[in-house]
Amino acid sequence: MEAILKVKGLKKYYGKGEALVKALDGIDLEIERGRFTAVIGTSGSGKSTLLNMIGGLDIPSEGSVRIGSTELSKLNSEQSAVFRRKQIGFIFQNYNLVPVLSVWENIIFPISLDGRRPDMDFVMQVVNMLGLSQKLDSLPNHLSGGQQQRVAIARALAGKPSIILADEPTGNLDSKTSDDVIHLLKMTGKEFNQTIVMITHNPEIAQMADRIIRIEDGRIVTEQGRQLA
Amino acid sequence: MNKKDKKTFHPILVLNRRTFHKNRGRNLVAALAVSMTTILFTTLFTLAQSMSENLVEMTFRQTGYDAQVSFKSIDPEAVKKLAAHPDVKEVGTSIVLGLAENKELAGRQVEIRWGSDAYARHSFAAPTTGRMPEASNEVALDRITLKRLGIPAELGESVTLEWRKDLTDSEADCIRSDFVLCGIFEGNESSYASMSWVARTYAEEMTGGYYNQEGIILGQYMAQVSLYSDRNIESMMGQILADTGLSDLKYGINLAYSPEMGATALQQTLPMYLGMILVFIAGYLIIYNVFQISVTTDVQFYGKLKTLGMTERQIKKLIYGQSGRLCAIGIPAGLILGWLLGVVLVPAFTGILGGNNKVSLNPVIFIGSAAFATLTVLISCMRPARLAGKVSPVEALRMNDADSRSRKTKKRKNSASLGGMAWANLWRNKKRTVIVICSLTLSLVLLCGFYAKNAAFDMEKYLSYLMIADFELADVTSDDYIGGYNPLGSTLGSSLTEHLESFEGLEAAGHLYTHQFLWQMDEQTTENLRSYYTPEVLSDWGSYDPDGPKELQKAVDSRTVSAVVYGLDGIPLEAATQPQYLLDGSFDKEAFAKGGYVLAVGPAIEAGESYPVLPAPSTGSRIELEGRNYTVMAVVCPLSPVDDGASEKGAPDSMEMHFILPSDTFRTLWPENTLRKLFVDVDDEHLDEMQGWLDNYTKDVDSSLPVESRKTKAEQYETEVRSSAVMGNAVSVIIAMVGVLNFINSMVTAIVSRKREFAMIQSVGMTKRQLCSLLIYEGLYYAAITLAVSFLVSSFLVGIVIRAMTAGGFTTFRFTLLPLAVCTPVLFIFAALIPFLCFKNLERQSIVERLRME
Ligand SMILES: Nc1ncnc2c1ncn2[C@@H]1O[C@H](COP(=O)(O)OP(=O)(O)OP(=O)(O)O)[C@@H](O)[C@H]1O
Ligand SMILES: [Mg+2]
Repeated sequence: MEAILKVKGLKKYYGKGEALVKALDGIDLEIERGRFTAVIGTSGSGKSTLLNMIGGLDIPSEGSVRIGSTELSKLNSEQSAVFRRKQIGFIFQNYNLVPVLSVWENIIFPISLDGRRPDMDFVMQVVNMLGLSQKLDSLPNHLSGGQQQRVAIARALAGKPSIILADEPTGNLDSKTSDDVIHLLKMTGKEFNQTIVMITHNPEIAQMADRIIRIEDGRIVTEQGRQLA
Repeated sequence: MNKKDKKTFHPILVLNRRTFHKNRGRNLVAALAVSMTTILFTTLFTLAQSMSENLVEMTFRQTGYDAQVSFKSIDPEAVKKLAAHPDVKEVGTSIVLGLAENKELAGRQVEIRWGSDAYARHSFAAPTTGRMPEASNEVALDRITLKRLGIPAELGESVTLEWRKDLTDSEADCIRSDFVLCGIFEGNESSYASMSWVARTYAEEMTGGYYNQEGIILGQYMAQVSLYSDRNIESMMGQILADTGLSDLKYGINLAYSPEMGATALQQTLPMYLGMILVFIAGYLIIYNVFQISVTTDVQFYGKLKTLGMTERQIKKLIYGQSGRLCAIGIPAGLILGWLLGVVLVPAFTGILGGNNKVSLNPVIFIGSAAFATLTVLISCMRPARLAGKVSPVEALRMNDADSRSRKTKKRKNSASLGGMAWANLWRNKKRTVIVICSLTLSLVLLCGFYAKNAAFDMEKYLSYLMIADFELADVTSDDYIGGYNPLGSTLGSSLTEHLESFEGLEAAGHLYTHQFLWQMDEQTTENLRSYYTPEVLSDWGSYDPDGPKELQKAVDSRTVSAVVYGLDGIPLEAATQPQYLLDGSFDKEAFAKGGYVLAVGPAIEAGESYPVLPAPSTGSRIELEGRNYTVMAVVCPLSPVDDGASEKGAPDSMEMHFILPSDTFRTLWPENTLRKLFVDVDDEHLDEMQGWLDNYTKDVDSSLPVESRKTKAEQYETEVRSSAVMGNAVSVIIAMVGVLNFINSMVTAIVSRKREFAMIQSVGMTKRQLCSLLIYEGLYYAAITLAVSFLVSSFLVGIVIRAMTAGGFTTFRFTLLPLAVCTPVLFIFAALIPFLCFKNLERQSIVERLRME
């Protein structure tokens, strides 16, 4: 299968001299379309940094990230914002919902920023699947952690991005809800043929992925793949 | 699901609206700042506009008409041609008959004319009551003339005017015509002349239909031409005259339309424009600060929006949207309030100019102020918007940790003392702190400057220059600059002067006589004149009085000037010889009284400044005045109550030189000259009595007697001075309010934006009391730094700049920092109160709530 995401020689250094931190120290990675990849590693190993680079949120010190036919380093900040809201769905550990917008508005926010009209049938399908149809008018801080995370997932899916990047999406959830969320992600990913890259500290959750990548000190140390069922 | 059918969702508009509502407190401060800025802009604009409009109006009144072009004599046929030209808006015409010479009208030129309606309208002389005359026996007059004539301003009154057909011939027959008053108008105080309109039929009868005869005023046919445009009047007139084939006609352009007028208006209004720059700075400081603070507190929010794909441009749009809302609220309110403030202040300013005080309602004021205010807001939020747009999404996501990390290290460094912690907190956001301190300092320093400048004005000095006695009476022709002073006048007759000088409570009196003649200058005096008037002095003089240098040249060449000898005793002599008015030499009262000495009057320069030569006879030299020799004892300053007045009737049009003799000497030399001015001082108990007596006298006996009293003059100037001081203080108070608002805003946001941090500190064991005092410490530091800087800068400003500005004139400089002293406790109270109140507000939320907050 063709790789939708290609990372080559990716490096990210912070600081200088004595205080130099090599957050990423030469990452080569290819991820195929439609695959569910889990990234694991100890705290401070560089997982979030990698995800941010892939999402175009930060600029690498060296190396390249290519999504589909787009080379991210070639985009200016304006273009990368537009690319982001069209192609990538983010799910953050702390949900990152906009507090002054209702659940519905949050979900369609990136689409409307792009000046597009949401595909109503599709968005409602996602909303129903995530069990949010009763909460559309609520404000985010009236929801529980799990519900907020589901809103974040709905938002990531609503624009039909080709890639979903999730940084510890279940970090704040109990194991039951975590399981539900992962299942949902897997399901929607399959349903809409999306590529998912997810960071997690939980080995059980990692086991549910098609492929697991382990990062230590900014390098990929082991990889285990699993054939699609 | 009804939701999905809803109309399109405009994320930026919605965000804009909701975040605006969410930050109500912050926006209130910003909206207040915007409206205050607008108020100041509008007020200053209103003042500037009203002042220049009034100035133009006043010049119109001084020149006597408001049309662009006037013809002193023109053929009636030519007028018809001009009026038909497409570029000509209106032509007014008038036929002059002569000047009214009724005794009561001495000192005021009353021109007997026929005028078309347009001519009257453009000459500020259209009847406001009644109408223009139609029948031969009708006349329309202004209130000034009516008052002088002692005729009540009521239609139907009968009026008799005396005039001569030939003004050059003093033996010519005097015509006495009886009229019925058919129209009344206000009269133009700024002009030396009043109009007295008669009917066309009367005019034709008098002139016999002969117009514009050489050298004769009777029958002069005049016209005023109004054009559609005020620009390029000369070239347009040239074109019009060429088009109508009248190119050799002589015309005059109204002085009020000259470019110099514009320059004068600009000069008058310059302080306003400087004020606007100040307002801009003050407005910028606060609005910028409000936005800067809100962007920095919301950095995470913008970072979040960016991770979700909001572009830099969209974020900027969001911020400009917020500022747009602020403008929409703040500017309209500011425009209205500012104009109203202008209405209150305009009289104070135009009063100084001496004009009438119409408040301009020119739309330019509102458009201009709104534009300036909007510009200020836009410029103020430019940097914050760029900052928000440039937020790196990753940095924003990490913000929380990074912030607390750096804070912890700082805390350790500065030990655990609350004061130290507060000090460190102050400098965590250096830029904000500096801006707040700057804006507060600016207001305090301005306040100090304004105050010190106003406080330096010395009313006593001013009055003593303007008035030297409680009451000053003069001959009716003393100020008659047209007819000239009549040295044989009888206004101050012996019965009047004797009564006043024997008035109960009289403290002092003084007399002034004058005599004018041609004087052959001696060699030394001519030389003095020549060396005093250097080219620079001359060009300076020529810039406001073009005839001056010419007359001087003539005087030097022919060695003749027109000498005015003053005979003084009592009050005017003492006033004029006060040490501060002596430019050269010294005054010996006894020796002077003997009659062998004369005082020469020098130029109006500051006494105390030393000049190598003065344009007057040298001290100690001997000069000859009408056959008698005197020694020049001293050179004195011209003192306006003594020196001001018209030249003698028939005096040649040449430069004048003034001398002072004791009145006894004067009267033996020129016994026929009557008293020109009488000065009397009475004690305070009798002031009102004498005022009352004089009021009665001018009402019943002689309505033309010029009387001035120190009290009315003082009151008049006091109100003027007070109102201009009020303006200065109003401006600085508003600027001070901007400063305090800025201070409050930054304190409040500094505290509110640290809610979480405080919750954290509290959760690890800091008590409420400690936190509260930490905040108060921060406030007090702010106040202390601001005051220290303000004291320093104000001392400089007041001690050096204001001292220099108030040097000379009617001022006595006093070093004062009173406003700062007053503000010091106020500032400290605010500095302690705001943190306390904010903390009380914070406390309402539990630690958990605050920790959970985003
Ligand atoms: N902006 C930054 N400035 C300096 N160092 C940074 C910055 N961002 C990340 N780092 C460093 O880079 C390294 C990798 O950080 P990263 O956030 O990617 O770790 P992580 O694997 O996501 O850890 P965790 O599992 O705790 O989330 C860390 O050592 C971190 O201190
Ligand atoms: Mg991480």
